[in-house]
Order: sequence, then C-alpha cells, then structure tokens
Amino acid sequence: MAGWLVAAYFLWQSVIPDGLKLPDVKETSLFPTSTLSDAESYDRFVRSDFVLAQVVVIAVVAVYARIGPKFVRESAAGPIGTGMLLAMLGLGLVWLLQLPFGLAELWWQRRHDVTLASYQEWIVSGWFGLGAEFLFTSLAILIVVGLAQIIGDWWWLPGGAVFVALAALFAFLLPYLIPGQQPLRQPALQASANSYERQLGLDDIPIKVQDVGGETTAPNAEAVGVGPTRRVILWSTVLRPPFTLDEKEVVVAHELGHHARKHIFKGVAWYALFAIPGAFLISRITRRRGGMRNPEAVPLGLLALVVLSTVALPLQNVITRHMEAEADWVALTLTQDPQDAEGLFKRFTYAAHADPSPPTWSYILLETHPTGLQRIEMARAWRAREQSTP
Amino acid sequence: MVFEPPPTEPPAPWEPVEQPPDPNRHPIRVVVTDDLHRWRLTVGFRLLLSIPLWIWLFIWSIGVFFAAIVNWFLTLIKGRSPLSLHDFFASYIRFTTHLHAYFFFAADPYPSFTGKPGYPVDVEIDPPERQNRWKTLFRIFLVIPAALIAGTLVGAPGGGGNNSSYDDQSSSSWQYGATFASGFFLISVLAWFACLARGRAPHGMRDLFAYGLRYSAQTWGYFFLLTDRYPNSDPAEPAADMPEEPRPVRLEVDDDLRRSRLTVFFRGLLYLPQLVWLILWGIAAAVALIVSWFATLAMGRTPSALHRFLAAYVQYIVHVTAYVTNVANPFPGFVGTPGTYPVEVEIDGPERQHRLKTLFRLFLAFPAFVIEATLTGVLFFVAIFGWFVGLFLGRMPLGLRNLGAYAIRYAAETNAYLFLLTDVYPYSGPWDFAPPRPALPPHELEPEPETAFT
Repeated sequence: MAGWLVAAYFLWQSVIPDGLKLPDVKETSLFPTSTLSDAESYDRFVRSDFVLAQVVVIAVVAVYARIGPKFVRESAAGPIGTGMLLAMLGLGLVWLLQLPFGLAELWWQRRHDVTLASYQEWIVSGWFGLGAEFLFTSLAILIVVGLAQIIGDWWWLPGGAVFVALAALFAFLLPYLIPGQQPLRQPALQASANSYERQLGLDDIPIKVQDVGGETTAPNAEAVGVGPTRRVILWSTVLRPPFTLDEKEVVVAHELGHHARKHIFKGVAWYALFAIPGAFLISRITRRRGGMRNPEAVPLGLLALVVLSTVALPLQNVITRHMEAEADWVALTLTQDPQDAEGLFKRFTYAAHADPSPPTWSYILLETHPTGLQRIEMARAWRAREQSTP
Repeated sequence: MVFEPPPTEPPAPWEPVEQPPDPNRHPIRVVVTDDLHRWRLTVGFRLLLSIPLWIWLFIWSIGVFFAAIVNWFLTLIKGRSPLSLHDFFASYIRFTTHLHAYFFFAADPYPSFTGKPGYPVDVEIDPPERQNRWKTLFRIFLVIPAALIAGTLVGAPGGGGNNSSYDDQSSSSWQYGATFASGFFLISVLAWFACLARGRAPHGMRDLFAYGLRYSAQTWGYFFLLTDRYPNSDPAEPAADMPEEPRPVRLEVDDDLRRSRLTVFFRGLLYLPQLVWLILWGIAAAVALIVSWFATLAMGRTPSALHRFLAAYVQYIVHVTAYVTNVANPFPGFVGTPGTYPVEVEIDGPERQHRLKTLFRLFLAFPAFVIEATLTGVLFFVAIFGWFVGLFLGRMPLGLRNLGAYAIRYAAETNAYLFLLTDVYPYSGPWDFAPPRPALPPHELEPEPETAFT
C-alpha cells in the first residue's frame, strides 16, 4: 500500500504551480444563454443514456455471472478455450444489450450534427470493434486461465505484470493502428510545432493529420506513442475554419505538452497501479467458484472486472483531468497566448455541445478532461500570474 | 401419359416382389444406371456435340418462361399444377438433367431432345399433388436458398436450363453463362481429361455430379411448382455408393443437430481467436510439411512425429470449419485432439507412399483443389443458411448439416493428401453417411452399374 502511495505521489507531480487558484468565472459571461441551454439539454440526454447503459451493463453481467457457467456445455475445448468462450459470450451479451443505448446516442449526435456516421456504418464498425474485443479478451483469458492452471490463485502477480507489459506494447504500437494519417501540410503550423519542440527539449515529433471528415464534425487531437513512435495526430476538423492559426498552435502545444510531460508513459504506470491490485481482487472474488483455473469462474470474474472498473472510474477521471490540465498549462506557457486558448476552449464547447459546467456527479463520473469553464479559468489564471510576475 | 402406372401382372415366382415406395421419398429423384464407361471419341468432342442440345434448350426455355407464369396462376387458383403443364415441366427438367449429365461426363449416351425417360442419369418425377397456396404464392422467394446452392454447384436451373424469374426473360443468356462459370463446369474440365485418358469416368466425380443434378432438378422442380416439397440437400439421402478402396481419411459425425442460439449469433466473431491460432499453427505446419516432404521422399514414409503433428492440424481445421459453418455446435479446443468433437476425421497412421506421387504432390493435388473450391462455395451457403435456421429454430437441418459435413470431409481428404498423410487421392463422391454395404454372396460381387442414387 505504501509503495502504491509513493508511486502515485511521484506520478501526480505536475508543472502546474502549487496552490494555483482559478478565478471564479461565470459561464453566463462567456456564452449566450441559448448556447448554455442547448449544451445543457444535449448533455443531459448523453448523461442519462450513459447512466442507463452502465446500469444495464452491470445488470447483464450480474445475471451472466449466475447463468454463464451453463454455457460450459457449449464448449468442447479445455479450460482455456472454454474460458475464452464464456468471456466472449459475456461481452457479446453486453454489446447486444447496449446496442439500443448506443443507437440512441448516435441518433442524438446526428440530430445535433456532431457525427456524420450512418446507423449502418455505426453498427458495422461496432461489430468489427466487438471482434477486436473478442480477440483481446481471448488473449487475456489465455494469460489468466493459463497462469491459473500452473500457479493457481497467484496468477494475478505475473498476470498483472503481463497486462501492464501489453498495455505498454499497445501504447507503443497505437500510432501504427490509427488509419488515414497524412503529413501536416500547413508550413506555418509546422514551424510553430518545431519551435515548441525545441523549447520543450523534445526530439522531432511528427505531426500527422487524420482525415475524419466523413465521420464527425467534432474537433479533436491526440498525442500517441512512446519513445520512437511518438507523434501528434490532429483531426482534419481542427485544421479547417473557423479555427485560426493561433488556436491551432494552442492545440499542437497542448499535445506536445503531453509528450513533454511523459503522459503516455505515466498513463501506463497508472494502469499498473490499478491493474495489479484489480487482478488480485478478481483472484480473491473468483475463489468461491474454484478460482480462475476453473472456466466457470470467468463470468464472475467478468462481473468483478466491470464493478471494479466502474468504482475506479472517478479516480481514473481525476488522473486524466489532472494530466489534461497540465498539458493546458504547458500550452499556455509555450504559446504565451491565453486569449486564443480561451477562444479555442469556447469553440470546443460550441462544436461538441458540451456543458461548460456540468453537474458534480456527471463531472466525477464522466469528465475525462477539465470542463470548458475550468480550462478558460486556467487561461485567465495563467494570464493573471504572468501579469503579476515582474 | 408419363405417369400412368404400367399394367399390373402377377409377378413370376422367381421374381422378387417389388417393395412399395417409401412414402417419405422426395417426389423428384435422380436414378443413376451409368456404368462409368466413356467413349473417347464423343468425350473429345463433347463440347461441340452438345451445341445443338444447348440451342434446343434455349428455345424450349422461352416456352417454359411463359408456361411458368400460367402455371403459377393456375396452381394458385386450383391448389394443384395442371397435369399437362406438370408433364411439360417434368420433360423439360429431365431434358436439362440429361443434357448436363452428358455435358459434365456424368453419362455417355447422346440424350434425346424430348427428355425421354431411361437416360443413364435420369429424373423420376411423381404426378402432381395438392400444394400449399401460401408456398405457391411466395415460391419465387422461398426457392432462393436452394437456388444459391444449386447455382454454386451446377450454375443454372434444372441442371442448367432456365432460372428466369417471371419478369425477366432476358436473363436467359446470363443463365447459360452461369453454367460455364459453375463449380461443376470446372470439375467437368478435369473429368474430360480423366475420361479421355482412361475411357472411364471417375466414380466419385460421377456421383458428385449426380448429387448436384439431383439437387438442381429438385430445386427447379420446386420452382416450377412440380411439388411443394423443399429440395433435399442431404448427400446421404439416398445413400451413394461407397468408394471401392478403403479410405485412410474418414469423417465421423456425432452431432445432435441442436444449436445454441447465442453462440450461433456470435459464431463469426467467436471464430476469430480460432482463426488467429489456425494461422499461427499453419505457419508451423507449413514448415513441418517442407521437412516432411523431404523425409517422405527419402524414406518412402512420413515420420511418425510429423504425421501426428500434421494430422492434428488437419483435425483442428475440421473442428474449426465445422464450428464456424454451424455444422457442429460446441466451441472447439485448440489442439485438434481426436475424440473431443462431434465432427472429426479419423486418419490412419503413416504408411508407405509412392515416391513419385510425393515428388509431384502439389501438382497432383490441383484437381482436388478445384473440387474443394466448389464444395467450399457450397459450404459458405451452408454456413449462411445454417446461421439463420440455427438462430430461429435452435437446430440445424439434417440435410444442410450433412451437406456441410460432406464438404468438410472432402477438404480434410485434400488436406491430408497435400500434407503427405496419405497418398490415396481424395474421393469426391458423397459417401460419408452411407450405411455399410450389405454382405453380398460372391456371385453378386460382379460390377453392378446401377444402384447409385436410386
């Protein structure tokens, strides 16, 4: 436990000054009432849909934990293969029962022009996505049930380590798995990116553009990869008007900030801090069904995993919000342009119909980034701090 | 009238008493009395010789198109196809079956232009019976699954004649083109070489053609409202002849036809981990095969360890294919252990192999690949239709399951041949589920030309 706390302490370290106080900004002073009302209405539906879907997931997995072992008779495989079958069927059921909620959300997004995806495209891509989940789950079961066959209930120790290694490998390979990447063809923005990289002491990090024009209108960007695979990926929606060059520079600086502060690596480290104790808890919970060496314990293990993930969600959101805030701070420091940062965050709020100050429960459960209002407050706090520093 | 019963005479005391027909038998049946002998001269020019028959088929098909529309209305109104039209379509189906049997080398004599009964690959069609009007109304849609399977095999209706929909006569040219693009056409090219070289048609190939022509005749008999009984895809119904020589690769099916709807729904995705493992194992198997090829060439026999390894891989392919195509229900294991799955192959141990056959194995296996490709096309439809039926009924139809098992057995035999597990060539006839041959007295063990598909 002490080791966990020490590791968490070091991972929490940030360049955001200690004791930074965000000014109290009223959202009504930033956005028209109609915009706030629209965003609130939009987010309310999304939040309700999410909560209902989450409740259904837990209910389905709970029922499956009881009835799932019956599906053992549908397998002629040994414990590992049977475990794979039970885990895949559990995920398949979850996918099937979440389908209405996903379709409802898609309908809502299409209605607000947030996405351009058709229902057919969404279902087909979801089906293929489920296939990828099945493959990953089979690998996970191979590791867990395979290790449990050899070392019994101690599988969680090497198993947790293997999952962390896989997460690191995934983080390393992710840049190669994102389709439709093209080089950035905006020389001015590229020049700014080169300048920021020099200031941050980073090696040359490629800036790529992902064409998402046919899928969504929402602007986004991401920092991906570790070590030699690091890169920044800008969605093509960010490079189009109404975004100005100054605003795009804030986006690039923010993503480079993630790389400079080693957030991908830290993300893997945080994952380790959750995955290893999580694996331990699952091994304890499934002992009543004979442990993970017995495939009949897999549905119960799935339930434990879903419940633990839900419980850990607020904590994980705290961590990601902390990292995003730090990247914002780095971007402000690099661009020295709080005004355009504020403009960018306002545009994000408009484009995504995001509620700039959602209810607390929603903030805790759903928000992986600081709210639009918090990001604007940080820009103002940075300006105030700069102005007060001689 | 074609279906007038012959005048009954009391049987002579030395004649066997004719058994009454099975009430469950299909109203459209293929009768094979072919002796496998082929005259090389007509084999050599078979394509050209058949041209007048194709032209006549085309002309006849135009009449069939209009008659089919009239027949549909009359059957819908009266609940039964008029006898005259029934006989007209029956002759047409017989003629197309004769033509295709001739064209595919499943029979040797030049067929008559009238579909006269008595051809070595003939069709028996029962007289018209009452038909369900709902089935008649939607016949054009109901026939689609059977037509897809028949089309994959034979390529066109009635063994190749006319699959025109009621509203599109111009599709006739496409239909005839389809015959030449079908699996059977490719196989018939192989049959052409075999018949020309040996003066005999390969037994298995002839039985495969006979099966396809039977299914096709039933399909288009169903389409033309000769019966409302759905085509029977079961290759074991009725049982075909067993191959003459013992088979070193045999399929065993111990499946109860029950299907779990949930696993059927996700079957394609549940297959993914198996597919990954299949590919990984396949890489190792390819390396083992190269080593085995050299060893078999040198020793005249596959080393036991390599034989076991490759046999397990063939076994695993059978398990996984049966699973993904809904021919079997349980999720298979990953190691191809014999005795663990309802559909599996039994492969004999290593035996001496002819070195020349080993040396040219890849080239020798090519004809088997062609047949396998055709049967794989059929297996694809078995998987699709089995998926729908399994999802709604929770069970797999026996005929469809057996057809899938037949395709899997042939693929397993081909793989075993390619992987040097045996040098006995794959047998393409549908003998899988045939009951054991009755022990016959020695004087009856002479070559008997008939009995297949009777």
